[in-house]
Formats: sequence, C-alpha cells, structure tokens
Amino acid sequence: MVPFAVAYAVTARAGGLSVWETQLMSATVFAGASQFAAAGQFVGGGLPTVAGALGLVATTFLLNARHVLYGLSLSRSLPLPWGQRLVAAQFLTDEAYGVTVVAGPRDPGGLSAAFLLGAELSLYAVWNVSTLLGALAGAALPEPQALGVGVIFPLAFLGLLVPLLVDRVTLLVAVVSGVGAWLLGRALPGGLVIGLAGVGGAALGAWITTRRARSRA
Amino acid sequence: MSGWLVIGLMWAVTYPARLLGLSLGRLNLPPFWLAFLRFVPVSVFAALVVPDVLGSPEWPRRIVAALSGGLLMWRSRNLALGILGGFAAYWAARLAGL
Repeated sequence: MVPFAVAYAVTARAGGLSVWETQLMSATVFAGASQFAAAGQFVGGGLPTVAGALGLVATTFLLNARHVLYGLSLSRSLPLPWGQRLVAAQFLTDEAYGVTVVAGPRDPGGLSAAFLLGAELSLYAVWNVSTLLGALAGAALPEPQALGVGVIFPLAFLGLLVPLLVDRVTLLVAVVSGVGAWLLGRALPGGLVIGLAGVGGAALGAWITTRRARSRA
Repeated sequence: MSGWLVIGLMWAVTYPARLLGLSLGRLNLPPFWLAFLRFVPVSVFAALVVPDVLGSPEWPRRIVAALSGGLLMWRSRNLALGILGGFAAYWAARLAGL
C-alpha cells in the first residue's frame, strides 16, 4: 500500500496536479486504483478536457462499484446504525474489508463497528501520509517524465492485476479486456475505452461463470 | 476542467457505492451481477495496463518492463519488488538502446 500511494503521488505530480490536489484526492476519494487511474489520465496533457474528465469519472464509478459488494458482505455480519454507516462508508476500502472479515472475528472484542473503524482509519492514515511523502518527493524530482516515471503506471496496475489471475476465466477476461481496450483505443477516446472494455470484460466473465453454474445445476 | 472539480466528481461517484452496500444487507443480488462486480477489477486493470504498454511511443522498453515486473510479482507476490524490478528492467532496456 505504501509503494502504491507513493507511486500514485509521483504520477499525479508528474501529470501536473499540485501537492494540494494530489493530497485532496487521497483525503476524499480514498480509493487507490481509481486515484492512480485518474492520475494517469492527467499525465502529459495537464488538466483533462471535459470529455476526458467525464471518462475519468466514469472509470472511477466503474472501479468503485465493487465497494457495493464489500458493504453488502459486511452489513450481513455487522449491521450498523445510520450514523456509523455514514462514517464507515467514507473509509471503506478493499484492504479494510479484507482485514475486518479475516481478523475481526478473531479479535477479543469480536467483529464490531469499533474494529471496522479502527482498521479503516489506520489504513486512511497510512495512505494519506504516504501520499504526502510521494507528492513532496515528486515535487523534488526535476524532470519526472525524463526519468521514465510513466512506466510506473502500467507496472502498478500489473501488480494489482497479477494476484487476481487465479484461473482460466480471469486470465481470459484480462486478455480480452486488455487487447480489446488497445484496439478500441485506436478509434475512441481513452476514458470511454476503459469503460467499454471494463463493462464488456466483466460481463463476459460473469456470463461464463453463471452459465457454467447453471449447466452444473 | 479544473482539478478540484474532477476530484469532487470522483468523490461523488465513490461514496454512494460504499454507503449503498452497507445499507442493503438484506438484498440478494442475482448471481450474474455478483460475478460481474467481482470481475470488474480484472477487466479494468487489464484495460489500463495493455494500451499503456502496447500503445506507448516507447513500447519495446515497456514490454520488457511489464514482462520482468509481471514475472517478479507473480513469483514473489510483492508489489514493491515488482514495480522496482520492472523499472530497473525499463532502464536496462533504455540504456541498451531498445
């Protein structure tokens, strides 16, 4: 998580976001992958056009739609009152969900709202401090583009993708979405391409797995 | 579009997804949509990586970096090692004149 936050901040700074904007995104959006994806869109061209910005927001929405799943899963074992839900939602991430589900029931106090919030806020603190360090380091680099920091972006996402490739269906979805996005990208703008390839690839994977489950039943 | 506005919009589409899940404990999504949401990171991450490697003006170096980094990540399960190793491979390819 620390290297990812630092890499995000350096990419955002290289793309023309100020230290404040880089930090603000970590403080509000607080979703590593979509922050990094957004930072990558800023690279080179500075601030995006309206079409580019809307594509970027659409990618953010699509990526973070998976948080619905974490919320659904958590709320079954840990129903929260309204007030706590409003707070817990701001800080809910993949890692917080993972830690809470795996380590929460083993905690002496059991799976509780306090455990969830503790996990969430610890991760929030680490993420934001690492962002600040990366943003300041990025500001100190004289010419980040000339150093080739652009290659950090695909490497960081490759690092998130590789652990998810656990079987033939996930591998197929990755190849179809990746190559599909590359081919579509020759005709269409970037933000739209990621949305189309993302929805298409996920639908393909869902179709294959649910069809398989049905034929087994 | 200003950076602050883009960040605000990103927040506006992220927070509701988190709140929605936490508020819908009794809802059962159909299996297709559960699977769909689980596949989204795979498809989006791949859609971000491949065009940024193959479509880059320096694509031969990036292919070297992605293959080395990907192999390291797969064997070591270590994100930092993979990024640093991939970056080193990128520079090795660049210095070698690729």
